[in-house]
Amino acid sequence: MSIAPSLALGLPLGLGLAGAIAATMMKRGVAQAGAAVAALAFLLYLLAAPGVTETTDLRFGFWSVPSLGVVGGLRLDGLSLVFVLLITGIGALVLLYASRYLKGDTRLPRLVTLLLIFMVAMLGAVTADDVVTLFVFWELTSLASFFLVAYDHEKPGARKAALQALLVTGGGGLALLAGLILVAMAAGTTSLSGIIAAREAVLAHPAAIPAMLLVVLGCFTKSAQFPFQFWLPNAMAAPTPVSAYLHSATMVKLGIYLLARLNPVYQHEAFWQELLTTAGLLTTAVGAIYALRESDLKRVLAWTTVTALGSLTMLIGLAPALSATAAVTFLLVHALYKAALFLVAGIVDHETGTRDAAALGGLRRAMPLTALAAVLAALSMAGLPPFVGFVAKEIIYEAKLATGGAAGLFASIGFLVNAAMVAIAGLLSWRLFFGPLRPTPATPHDPPKSMLAGPILLAGLGLLAGAAPSLVGAWLVDGAVAAMLGAPAAVPLKLWHGFTPVLALSAATIALGLLLLLAWGRLMPRLRRASAFDRFDTARLYDRALAGLVAWAEGTTRLVQHGSLRGYMQVLLLVAALGPLAVLVARGGLDLPEAAPLDFRALAFLPIALGAIAAAVARGTLAAVMATGLVGFGTALVFLTFGAPDVALTQFTVEVLLIVILATVLIRLPVRARDVRTGRQRTVDAAVAGALGLSVALVLLAVLAAPFDPRLGEWFGAESVPGGHGRNVVNVILVDFRALDTLGEIAVLAIAAFSVIALLRASGRGARVGS
Amino acid sequence: MLNWTLALPEIVLGVSGLFILLGGVIPKKESFFPVSMAVIGALILAAVLVLGQGEGTAFLGQYVADNFSRFAKVLILLGAALGLLLALDFNEKAGLGRFEYPVLMLFATLGMMVMVSANDLMSLYIGLELLSLSLYVIAAFDRDNPRSAEAGLKYFVLGALASGLLLYGASLVYGFAGTTNFDRLADALSGDDVGTGVVVGLVFVLAGLAFKVSAVPFHMWTPDVYEGAPTPVTAFFATAPKVAAIALLMHVLIGPFGDLSAQWMQVIWVCSAGSMILGAFAAIGQRNIKRLMAYSSIGHVGYALMGLAVANDTGYRGVLVYMAIYVVMNLGTFAVLIAMRRRGRALEQVEDLAGLGKTDPAMALWMAVFMFSMAGIPPLAGFFGKLYVFLAAVQGGFWTLAVIGIVTSVIASYYYLRIVKVMYFDAAPDGALDARPASLTVVMASTGLLTLLFFLFPAALIGAAQVAVASLAG
Repeated sequence: MSIAPSLALGLPLGLGLAGAIAATMMKRGVAQAGAAVAALAFLLYLLAAPGVTETTDLRFGFWSVPSLGVVGGLRLDGLSLVFVLLITGIGALVLLYASRYLKGDTRLPRLVTLLLIFMVAMLGAVTADDVVTLFVFWELTSLASFFLVAYDHEKPGARKAALQALLVTGGGGLALLAGLILVAMAAGTTSLSGIIAAREAVLAHPAAIPAMLLVVLGCFTKSAQFPFQFWLPNAMAAPTPVSAYLHSATMVKLGIYLLARLNPVYQHEAFWQELLTTAGLLTTAVGAIYALRESDLKRVLAWTTVTALGSLTMLIGLAPALSATAAVTFLLVHALYKAALFLVAGIVDHETGTRDAAALGGLRRAMPLTALAAVLAALSMAGLPPFVGFVAKEIIYEAKLATGGAAGLFASIGFLVNAAMVAIAGLLSWRLFFGPLRPTPATPHDPPKSMLAGPILLAGLGLLAGAAPSLVGAWLVDGAVAAMLGAPAAVPLKLWHGFTPVLALSAATIALGLLLLLAWGRLMPRLRRASAFDRFDTARLYDRALAGLVAWAEGTTRLVQHGSLRGYMQVLLLVAALGPLAVLVARGGLDLPEAAPLDFRALAFLPIALGAIAAAVARGTLAAVMATGLVGFGTALVFLTFGAPDVALTQFTVEVLLIVILATVLIRLPVRARDVRTGRQRTVDAAVAGALGLSVALVLLAVLAAPFDPRLGEWFGAESVPGGHGRNVVNVILVDFRALDTLGEIAVLAIAAFSVIALLRASGRGARVGS
Repeated sequence: MLNWTLALPEIVLGVSGLFILLGGVIPKKESFFPVSMAVIGALILAAVLVLGQGEGTAFLGQYVADNFSRFAKVLILLGAALGLLLALDFNEKAGLGRFEYPVLMLFATLGMMVMVSANDLMSLYIGLELLSLSLYVIAAFDRDNPRSAEAGLKYFVLGALASGLLLYGASLVYGFAGTTNFDRLADALSGDDVGTGVVVGLVFVLAGLAFKVSAVPFHMWTPDVYEGAPTPVTAFFATAPKVAAIALLMHVLIGPFGDLSAQWMQVIWVCSAGSMILGAFAAIGQRNIKRLMAYSSIGHVGYALMGLAVANDTGYRGVLVYMAIYVVMNLGTFAVLIAMRRRGRALEQVEDLAGLGKTDPAMALWMAVFMFSMAGIPPLAGFFGKLYVFLAAVQGGFWTLAVIGIVTSVIASYYYLRIVKVMYFDAAPDGALDARPASLTVVMASTGLLTLLFFLFPAALIGAAQVAVASLAG
C-alpha cells in the first residue's frame, strides 16, 4: 500500500515552502515548527517508499513549456529515495538541534526560513526528472548556502567564505547548465530518464566529451572535488547546524547524486572512469592530509568530508556492481556518522567555549551522553564492527581490490587514507572525552535533550544498521544501485565475510590509525608548519585569480572609457572607416572602374580638394568655415560642369545660407579659437581622418565599377513630358511627381521659421536676464 | 493605400501630445504633475489602441502594423509609462519638475512607435530622429548640473554622427537598390549577387543602429551619459529606447536585408561578443551604481544580440523574450536606485546601499531579486532570458558565442552579487534612507513580482514572442 505520487512528491515541497514563509512571521517555537515540517516530509517519503523498488518508481509531472520541448516533472526512484530520506530526516534533527543551539538569537526565524528553503531546493533537485528543473533547484541550493554561510555576516571571514562558495559552486553550476543543454540536445529530450534511455545518442554526439566534462565540472565544484575542495573548509564559518546539514550530509552530496544519476549513460566510457577515479583518489588524499593539519574541530570534520566525497566519486568511477553498492552504502553511512559528529562538535563548542581539539580532553565525566554519541559515531567512522561503517569499509576495500591492474594503487592509497580517518575518529572520541580533563573557558555539562537527540539518534542508527546490513540493503541500497547501473545488480551486504584478505587489511588500517592517533599531538603542528602543502593550496589560485580579475578589469576600463569626447569620436570614425574596408576585403578586393579620359572638367574638383585640406589645417574658426564653404562651392562647380545647372544653383544658395548662419553664430564666439591639441593628438586625428577619407574613396571606386542601375532615371526621363508636361526633370519631380513632399517641406520651413523667432526672442530675454 | 486608421495609436498619441503641450504652456503655474498624469493616461490609451490594432500596411507601404510591432510597442509603452512614474517624485525633489519632461518623453515614445512600425528607410529615420532629438534634450534636462549638460552634449555630438552614418548608408542602399521600401528592398536584394554599394550601405546602417542600442564598439557614450543624466532619465534610456532600437534592428535585418544574413550575421556576432565581454569586465571596477548599470546594459544587449546573430526563429524569439525581461528587471532596479536618498540628497555609490537589508528589508529584497535575476540565477526571470538565447546559439552551432556568453555571465554575476553582499552584509554607515514615495514602491513591487514569478507562467510571454517572430519572418 503506497500513497499517491502527487502527495509523496509534491506535498513535501509545498510543506517546506509554506513552512519557510510561516517561519518569517513566527516569534516562538519557530525551529521546532520547522523540525516538524521536515519530519512530516520524512514521513511522507517513508510512506511512499514501498512503491519504489529496483524496477519501479513514482512520477508526478507538473509543468511544461511545449515551445521548448521541455517537460518537467518529479520522479522518485531508488537513488532519489536514499537522498530524500537523508535530507528530510537529518533536516528534522538539525532544526530541532538549532532550536537550542541558537536559543535567544533574534535571527533564528531567518535561519529556519533559509534552512527550509534549502531543504525544498535539495528535495527538488534530487527528485527532478528533467534537467531544467534539476538545474533550477541545484542553483537554489547554492543561493541558500550563500545566505546560510554568511549568517554571522558581521565577520569578514564569513562574508568572504560565502562569496567564495557561491562563486565556485555558481560558476560550476553554469558549466553544468551548458553541459546539460548539450546532453539534452544530443538525447532529444530534457527528461533525465529519457536521457538515460537514449545513451547511445548521447555518446554518439560530436560534442559528447565536452558535454560530459562540463557536467562533471559542475558536479566537482558542488561536491568539493580537487582542485575545488578549498571552499568547503572555509564554509565552516557557518553556524554548526548549517555545517552539519549542508556541508556534510546533503548539499555537498548533490554533485555525487548527479554523477550517480548519469552513471548509466557513461559507465562504460573509459574516460569517465579514469576522470572520476583519478579526481576521487586525489581528493581523498588531499582531504586526509589536510585533516591531519587542523585542530579546529569543524575544519577537521570538513576535511574528512572532502575525503569522503572523494571516495564516493572514486567509487562511482569504478563501474562494477560491487563499487556501486559500496558507494551507496558509504553515502548512507557517512551521512549518519558525519552529521552526528558535527552536531557533537557543535555541542562541545557550545558548552566549553572552544573547538580547538588540542585544548580539549576528558569531557566524559562532564558530558557522558555527548561522549556516548561521539564514541558511537566515531566507531562507525573508523569502520569497526559491528557498526555500519565497518560494512561500508569492507565493501570499499573489496571494490578496490577487484579493480584489476590498478588494485594495488587504489588499495594502498585507500589504506593510508583510512588509517588517517581512524586517527581522526579517535581524536574526536578518545582524545576529546577520555584522559585527563583540561580546563576550558566554560564549565561543560550535557546539553538539553533537543540538542542530544540528533547525535544520539544518528549514531545509534549506525549501530542498528550495522547489525542488520541485509535489511538496509533490501530497503535502500538495492534500489539506488539499480538506478546507478541502469539495472538491478546490487551485491548483498554482510557484516561478517569470514577471514579474508579484506579483513586483514581492515585490521592493519585500525592499527596504523591508532599509531597516528598517539602521535597526533606532535604530528599535527609539524604538518601544519610544512609550507609545502600551502604551495599546492588551490585556494591561493582562487584568491589570485579574483584579485587579478578586478585589477585587470579596472585597468582596461580606464583605458577604453577615458571620458574624452574626441577619443570616442575617433573610435566611431575609425570603425566607420574600417567597416567598408572590411566589406571590400571580404568581397575579394577592389574592381577599378574603367578610367574615363581626363578633360578640363576635372579641374572642378580642385577647389573641393583645396578646401578640404585648408579646413583641416586652418588655425582659426573663421578660416575653417571659409574653407568648408570652398568645398561647397566646388561641389556646385562639379554639378555645373557635369550638366546639372539647377542643382548647382540650389547648392550655391544653400552654401551662401550656411555661411551666413555660421557667421551669425560666430559673432557670438571668439573668432580666434585656439587649437589646444598636442602634436601627437593632431597626428592621431589626421590618421583617423585620412583612414576615413581613403575608405570612402575606395568604396566609391568599387561602387562605380559595378554597373549603375538606371531604372529610376530612365523612368523619370520617360514620364516627365507625358506625366508632368515639363522638360526639366528635376522641376517636374519637385512640383509634380512629389508635389506633396514639396508642400511638406515648405510647411516644415515655415515651422522652423517660427522656432527661429521664438529662439531669438528667448535668447534676447535670456541675455537681458544675464546682464 | 493610405489606410490611416491603422496608425491610430500613433496619431492619437501625437495629437494628445500636442494638446498636452498646450495644456502645459498656457497656465502660468508649473504643471509638472498634472501633465505627467495626462501623459501616462495618453500612453495607456495608446497601449489599449495598440492591443486592438489591426494588421497591414499603411501610408503607401511606409508603415506596417503586425504582431511584431505590437509586441514591441506594448513593451515600449509599458517602459515609458513606468519610466515616467519613476520620475514623478525625483524630479520634484531635484527641481526638475517642469512640464517639458513628460511631454518630451511622450514624443520620444511616439518616435519609438514609428521606429518599430517603419516599413521604409524614410519613416525609420523620422522615427529615429524624433526619438533622438527628444533624448538629447532629456539627457541634459538638469542643465545647471555640469555632468548632465556634458552628458547631453556628448550624446548629441556622437548621436548626430551616428545618425549621419545611418543616413549615408540609407542613401547608398537607395542608390543601388532603387527603393527605400522594406518589402521592395527585400525583393531587390534577394538575388545571389548584391552590389558592393548595398553591402557598404548596410554596414553604415548597422553602425548607426548599433550606436542606438549601445553595442560595442559604439557603446562609449553609454557610461558617461548614464552617469551624468538625472537618474530617472537614465532609467528611461536603459529601457524603452533600447527595446525600440533592438526591435528596429531586427526588423531591418530580417525584413529588407533578410537575404543578406550571411553578411550581417558576422557583424552582429562581433558586436554581441564584444558587448558581453565589455559588459562583464568593465562593470567590475565601478563604484558608481549608475555607471555600473550602464555596463550592465551593454552586456545585456550583447546577450540579446546573440539571439539575432544566430539568425533563426528560435534566436529571434529569444531576443524578444530577453528584451521583455530586461525591461522589467531594469525598471525595478532603477526604482531602487531612485529611492536611494538620504536626508534629501540623492546617492549614487554602491557603498551607499550598505545595510539596506536591515534598514529597509522590503527594498533590499526587491533589489536582491533584480540582482540575482540579472546575474541569471534561476528560477528568476533573467535566467530564462539567458536560457532562450543560449539555447538558440547552441542549436545554431554558435559554440564560441555560447561559451563567451556563459563565461561572461559568470564574471558578471560577481558584481551583481557584490551589490547583494553590500546590502545584506556590510554595516550601514549613515542611518536609514529617506522614506520612499508610493510611486516607487508600486514600480518595485510590480516588476519584482514579475521577475520572481515569471517561471510559473513563462508560456504567456514566450507564446507572444513566438507569434511576433512568426509575423516578422513570414
